[in-house]
Amino acid sequence: MANLRLSHMSHWKTIPYRQIDNFRDFYYEEKSNLAYYSDWDRILRYHKATGYEGIEVAPWDLPDMLALFGSPQAFAEFAQERGVAVSGMFHGADLSHVPSKREEILQSGRQAIEVIRAFGGKHMNLCPNSNYYGVGPLSRADIQQAAAVISELGRMAIDQGIQIGLHNEFFCAINKENHREFIESTDPNSVFYCLDTAQIAIIGEDLLQFYEDYHDRICTFHLKDTASCSLPDAIRYGKDVEIVDDGTRWFWEPGEGVLDFKGLWQLLKKYQFKGWMTIETDGTPDLLASMALSSYYVKHELAPIYA
Amino acid sequence: MNLAISLEMVDLDHHEPNRNSRETKHFWDQLYPLIAAAGFGAIEIPYEPKWDFGGRSGIPRSRRSIETKFGTPSGYLEHLAQAGITHVTGIHFDPSMFLSDNLDQFFGIFRHFAQEALGFAADLQAAYLTLSVSPPLGKLQAVCPQDQNVQDFQVAYLQKAAQLVSELTQEASTKGVRLCIKNAFGSLLRGEAVVPFIRSLPQSVWLDFDTAHLQIAGVDVAAFAIAHADRIGCVHLTDTAFVDSEQAYLQKNPDYPQGAATRVFRDVGTGTIDFAPILKSLTAIGYTGSVTLNSKNTADIHRALLRMRHFANQNSRDLNR
Repeated sequence: MANLRLSHMSHWKTIPYRQIDNFRDFYYEEKSNLAYYSDWDRILRYHKATGYEGIEVAPWDLPDMLALFGSPQAFAEFAQERGVAVSGMFHGADLSHVPSKREEILQSGRQAIEVIRAFGGKHMNLCPNSNYYGVGPLSRADIQQAAAVISELGRMAIDQGIQIGLHNEFFCAINKENHREFIESTDPNSVFYCLDTAQIAIIGEDLLQFYEDYHDRICTFHLKDTASCSLPDAIRYGKDVEIVDDGTRWFWEPGEGVLDFKGLWQLLKKYQFKGWMTIETDGTPDLLASMALSSYYVKHELAPIYA
Repeated sequence: MNLAISLEMVDLDHHEPNRNSRETKHFWDQLYPLIAAAGFGAIEIPYEPKWDFGGRSGIPRSRRSIETKFGTPSGYLEHLAQAGITHVTGIHFDPSMFLSDNLDQFFGIFRHFAQEALGFAADLQAAYLTLSVSPPLGKLQAVCPQDQNVQDFQVAYLQKAAQLVSELTQEASTKGVRLCIKNAFGSLLRGEAVVPFIRSLPQSVWLDFDTAHLQIAGVDVAAFAIAHADRIGCVHLTDTAFVDSEQAYLQKNPDYPQGAATRVFRDVGTGTIDFAPILKSLTAIGYTGSVTLNSKNTADIHRALLRMRHFANQNSRDLNR
């Protein structure tokens, strides 16, 4: 793809081995497919094989990754040998609306920026606040405080060649009633937007209208589908709503829900978007199948529109 | 002996197809009656507050999760009872994930969650709380200050750990929960090393007799039971076929030894541990406490349940004393 580079959000959980050379012996211990998901060598080869140039690192996996590889650079080199680059890393700014948390947020953000640089990544996709439950509703002053600290973080990131992309969650304290106000309160020169297609649709935004309105701020994407657009406040603001007790899925592979990705691709073409797009299939029962399905959809259904 | 199985058989940390469903309440609600159907009426719960940080209250491994989904620990016990599980035998807490080069902060977090786990154990009427007081040796070495001798650092670590455990003993006694210490093969308390640690502490601190960990560390497991009969507070029957010929115990993650990949822990009854003499030793010393079968991070949960039932049946004469 000339304009669009496909990355995949790492939801692999802990991968215990760097590279398994005694694979047949390891397989025969249990004769289980678990052997196929136990080392980064194979995981990264799956990325390349299913059409992904990149991987977006999950910060909760960092301790285990660094224990295996020693440094972000070492992981990046290992991945590059298998044809995969690190596109960026996710990060969170809990309680960004609380003035006393400013230093902590900046320190944590600074460390994350350094790690992303070390990985050779470009994007820090940032959830801008805590979950709504127990924190929301945020006041206008809260929104301004959060926007100020995120803008400051954004300027820090730009100086290091990293782009912050605001990444909202449908259960975040920054939500439907203040989402746009928050975006427009941040510094447009240093704070960009990672458009998670399902998250904003679940909040109640119209995906295509949102892209039209903010295309100049949108620097990257988390691409996923949903069949749960415009969830009621009572659900979005509830406790621990990301995982539903009965196993209901909020997120699906692109093409498996109701979002108009072909319409979005027309807009990508209109505005000539260039850069990383991360496929994210959180909650899937089969990450490898979802990776393959998503890649096929993007490369065969959407690519004829714009690539 | 009071037979239980450990919910550590459900791997939440590593990737496999269908792993994500384990974060839902639905997964566990389906599992409880199957545990009972396999003939086990008691469970051990690993205490893992890390799931609180992501709002994963569907995973029943912390007070927050239990209170979110069931209101109270009593409510959870009622829920279990409806599925045929009549009691929670014990809680296991391992603070290793919180280790950093700030040891004061680490021990603060350790203390906080150990107390939380202790209260949780009491509220669930569990017989014991077992603690993994030492992180893996490789991880400890990584946070040793460069200007400090590693052995001195390890001694200082154990002194702080012993102090923390001592602080917990009074509360544990008050709550009626037996405080036990794990002998993980990759830790400072591997094999025989757990003995002087335990014996330096009050009599109310007990040994968690864990068979696979002892065997991997090169201990004669049956003889160990006889030698330390007076301090065995809980028993974990765990299995392994792993021989640590490459000093995996020194690594940061010894359960997944770098070099030749292998599954260190096997479903109970499928490794190389000879349980017959071990069970005879436990009988000989008159042990009548809890015995927890732990097929840790099994590759197949439902198969492991039936394997453990088969093991229990094969050894019923010793296990049903």
